[in-house]
Amino acid sequence: MIVRVSPNSKAMTRNDIPKQMGPAIAGISYAFPNGSRTVAELAGEAQLSSSAETLESFGFGSVHVAETETPYELALTAARQVLAETAVDPESIGLIIYGGTPGSMSFATAADSERAARDLCTQSRFKYPATRLQYDLDLPDAWTFAVDQLACTTLLAAARLARSLCLTEGIERALCVSAEFFPVNAGREAIFNCTSDAACAVLIERDGERNRLVSATTVTKGYYWDVDTLRDEIVASYFPTARHVLLKTIADAGWAPGDVDWIIPHNVSTRSWEILSSLVRLPKARVFSENIVRHGHTLAGDNFINYRGALDGGCIKPGQRVVMFSYGFGAHWTGVAVEA
Amino acid sequence: MIMPRMVLVTGATGLVGEGVLRRMLGDDPALEVFALIRDDTSWARLSRSLGALAQRVVPVRGDITLPGLGLEPLVRRRIELQAAAIVHAAADTTFSRTLERARAINTAGTQNVIELAAECPRLDRLAFVSTAFVAGRATGVVAEGDNGAPAGWVNAYEQSKYEAEALVRSSGLPWTIMRSSTIACRDIDGEVTQINAVHRALRIYHRGLAAMMPGDRDNPLDVVTATFVSDAIARLTLDPRAVGRTVHLCAGRNALTLGELVDTAYDVWATETAWRKRRVERAMITDPETYRLFEIAVHQTGDPRLRAILTSLSYFIPQLALPKVFETTAAEELLGIEPPCSREFWLPMLMHLQATNWGHSTEKAA
Repeated sequence: MIVRVSPNSKAMTRNDIPKQMGPAIAGISYAFPNGSRTVAELAGEAQLSSSAETLESFGFGSVHVAETETPYELALTAARQVLAETAVDPESIGLIIYGGTPGSMSFATAADSERAARDLCTQSRFKYPATRLQYDLDLPDAWTFAVDQLACTTLLAAARLARSLCLTEGIERALCVSAEFFPVNAGREAIFNCTSDAACAVLIERDGERNRLVSATTVTKGYYWDVDTLRDEIVASYFPTARHVLLKTIADAGWAPGDVDWIIPHNVSTRSWEILSSLVRLPKARVFSENIVRHGHTLAGDNFINYRGALDGGCIKPGQRVVMFSYGFGAHWTGVAVEA
Repeated sequence: MIMPRMVLVTGATGLVGEGVLRRMLGDDPALEVFALIRDDTSWARLSRSLGALAQRVVPVRGDITLPGLGLEPLVRRRIELQAAAIVHAAADTTFSRTLERARAINTAGTQNVIELAAECPRLDRLAFVSTAFVAGRATGVVAEGDNGAPAGWVNAYEQSKYEAEALVRSSGLPWTIMRSSTIACRDIDGEVTQINAVHRALRIYHRGLAAMMPGDRDNPLDVVTATFVSDAIARLTLDPRAVGRTVHLCAGRNALTLGELVDTAYDVWATETAWRKRRVERAMITDPETYRLFEIAVHQTGDPRLRAILTSLSYFIPQLALPKVFETTAAEELLGIEPPCSREFWLPMLMHLQATNWGHSTEKAA
């Protein structure tokens, strides 16, 4: 298992000029499995619907593939890492929100996932990764639940929920964890994007100075629930709705489009980001897209993995204004504004 | 004013051609018309539609793509001897035709009409119904004349009509070229009797199958009613001042902007409970480069239905990003009226499309 530990974690804790306090990202860690495939290799294994050339032209290079690791193992690794990196008092964590691979499937390897899926129809359905995380992480006082049916917006939604609950329930810190994988026979392409297996853990704190969660917007369009039948309409609706959500997120943060320094994307096709960037017209904003080629689309984890990468790489400077955006097939559009 | 005894009308069963016929026969009780008809069914429909006026219409079976228009020799001779004017309105207006196919009907067909016209000793007028979009990719103010085609065309239809205009101008006949704008509906009541590319595009946007269009909200978009065009053709065909003139039968300065037309459409659709529930976003009007990126992405992904939709739009949607204002000075001078403002009929047209489910309900009833 590959655990990404930041050599520059002080980027997350540097104490600059005190600013406004509020719910903020206190730490991010993530874990990838050992296995990986190039797009060409995936095509050779008949894991793609589109050609390798097409997906390469969309910016994809290689993806992480879990062969021996279970989603839960990845989740636990990422969560332990974020707790270790931030060194917070475990008793201060009053909430765990898990999202991603459901129930008993999260404890199975990709090769065993179909059997595990059948367990969802038995008493084993009550084996929950969220509750096991609480136990394994030794956070006995943390209120624990999972979010579901949000696809790639799961972790943004969890962070948004954590932000709200920190404010309304007096929770000091909340741990949000996602773990996504593709069963062995599920293919590796989702609406023209190459998918990757990964877990990501995000620690939210109620009173942070840096990486403050300033605003969040989600648009859910229930009409598109039947993703098989309405695929064309979903593709057509993606851009105008994404534009609407991005602009609303920016406006709700009290910012102007010209204030945004960075867009932290979900790792979908670079072509779609070219189009969306052109439609939204944020004069100085750059899209942090360099992870698309090397990690592919990790579903829910993308935005936070990328945010961490942009911080560690020195791209995002303290005080800069950042908008995260993700689309969840099925169909949710979510934007989150962060002041770094 | 000349008073031709007989007028040959091609394309008489089309939306504009039928209107021309109706207006000419209505205005002049002494007038009779040869209507070039391709088959009995279309004549039966036209005859029913014209009612009593049909008594002064002589249906002649023919086809503009055939040499001599495919007329029986005796019929052709009769037309040659009697025709005082020819209104050539027949055309294939399908934007997606290949250039070869469009030329076969619109250009070679016009040549066939010119050859017949040249054999008519009493002919006072060859009235050629063209399209304002012979201007193709040109932008800015488009004059009522031969403007050349330095920018090229968006589709084969535009090019074939441009080439047909050139044949008419060089024919040595007393011609008038009348360039119609895009027809939105029959009249200002908004009734749509013939679904065209504009209506099909609106249907695609209504269904949420396309979410952006190239252009600028402030670009003018010229649309007119069929009645305005037909009445103008009928009058100008008989107006000696129109010989050798090219006129725009367009909204011109009365055209609305793309932004207003699109907003009105979405406002009308938003009155439907079911449509509103789907939460279809308004189509974004974007620069051509971004739209092109979207087209490329869809074509690369290989989704057949979306590809087909974008391909169907591609034959005319680039015009939205090529702002042009059609000059209407000559038309207004000759007709003595201003073209109708698009605002008068765009909303009723949208409501008619909505009420008839884009013609599906009337088709079913028929």
